[in-house]
Amino acid sequence: MKIPYFPGCTLHSRAKGLDSSTRASLAALGVELNELPQWTCCGTVFPLALDNYMGMVAAARILANSSREGGGKLATVCSFCYHVLKRVNHAIKHNEEVRQKLNTYLEENYTGEVQVLHPLEICRQEVGLEVIKEKAANSLKGLKVACYYGCMLVRPAAEMQFDDPENPSIMEEIFSALGAEVVDYPHKTACCGSYQILHDSGLVKQKAQEILGSAASKGAEVMVTSCPLCQFNLDALRESYPELPRIPVVYFTQLLGIALSLPEESLGLQEHYVDARPLLLGRRG
Amino acid sequence: MVQQDIASYIYQISGQNPFLCMQCGTCTASCTGREAMDFPPRTVMRMLQMGNLAVLDLKSIWVCSTCLICTARCPRGIDIARLMEALRVINLRRGREVLVAEKIPPELLLKVPQMALTSGFRKLSA
Repeated sequence: MKIPYFPGCTLHSRAKGLDSSTRASLAALGVELNELPQWTCCGTVFPLALDNYMGMVAAARILANSSREGGGKLATVCSFCYHVLKRVNHAIKHNEEVRQKLNTYLEENYTGEVQVLHPLEICRQEVGLEVIKEKAANSLKGLKVACYYGCMLVRPAAEMQFDDPENPSIMEEIFSALGAEVVDYPHKTACCGSYQILHDSGLVKQKAQEILGSAASKGAEVMVTSCPLCQFNLDALRESYPELPRIPVVYFTQLLGIALSLPEESLGLQEHYVDARPLLLGRRG
Repeated sequence: MVQQDIASYIYQISGQNPFLCMQCGTCTASCTGREAMDFPPRTVMRMLQMGNLAVLDLKSIWVCSTCLICTARCPRGIDIARLMEALRVINLRRGREVLVAEKIPPELLLKVPQMALTSGFRKLSA
């Protein structure tokens, strides 16, 4: 199965491990991600002012380009990219004014027909948990995993249609199927503070303490996420604040790659501040 | 902008009606940034209802991380994140901003994911 793929700007620079581990783990599951021949930044945030059409142009252009790749699908893994592409697609599909303005400006005739898919959805719906279980060496047995969703994947539920916005479970289903012991903790859809890292890093530090502390109190050994900004905020801040809990924070595709026994160089685990390698590498079958 | 117009001006930008708010405080209880705010979201909503223009000068509107948890949980169906964005937009379109590239510590600038810069500047810079 081949699916057009939009990596997004961060995955070509500061989160290369998310890009390489996503491609490698999906390839191992029989899904080939074909990077779009031409793409730009998605805009990162969905504009919330009704008259801000400019904030939707980049995402609309990416969606229109992806519709020419065939297959009617577009995969993207960064939570922000997924959020923006999915909401702009929804707006183009359901709001005539948005559709008309963006198409006129871009000289396109795109109507929102592409289905934006997250690799988590690809794993569950396109591949299936049974196949994942078959292909994995079940090497996550006993590992205590905290699945962290953050804000952008799940909200707003009506537009994202991703999972239950208060209690999503798609990551838990995948890692439970792989033998991991997923921990239940109340902060999995809490926000890490996001871009406030640039403006009020004290706020982000407080959020990191709450989220990591909550997962640690339930015995989590590792936390998984799909967002490079969550990963940075929860992980890298520990360089400045060593008192924060030291649970490694990795991308879910990196842990999936461990279960699939992928080579170390495709995982990019060396990018993180708190090193997950001593905990995870020995588990590869 | 006269006092009674702030709610309708906000409605024009956000499509949201602050008078629907019944002051239950679910937004405040859920808010990511509440501890760093001068007034929490419930109070922001009340200030809008009362036409209090001081709402435009609050620190709160810049501490919002648009995580949408207030929007997701509001029992009155108000998209509170859009209201907060409208308050930022009114400021930003007058050139009032809080995030200035030159003031970001260089050691942080070299490490943060690109998406933090794009999103931060889109939300907090004019």
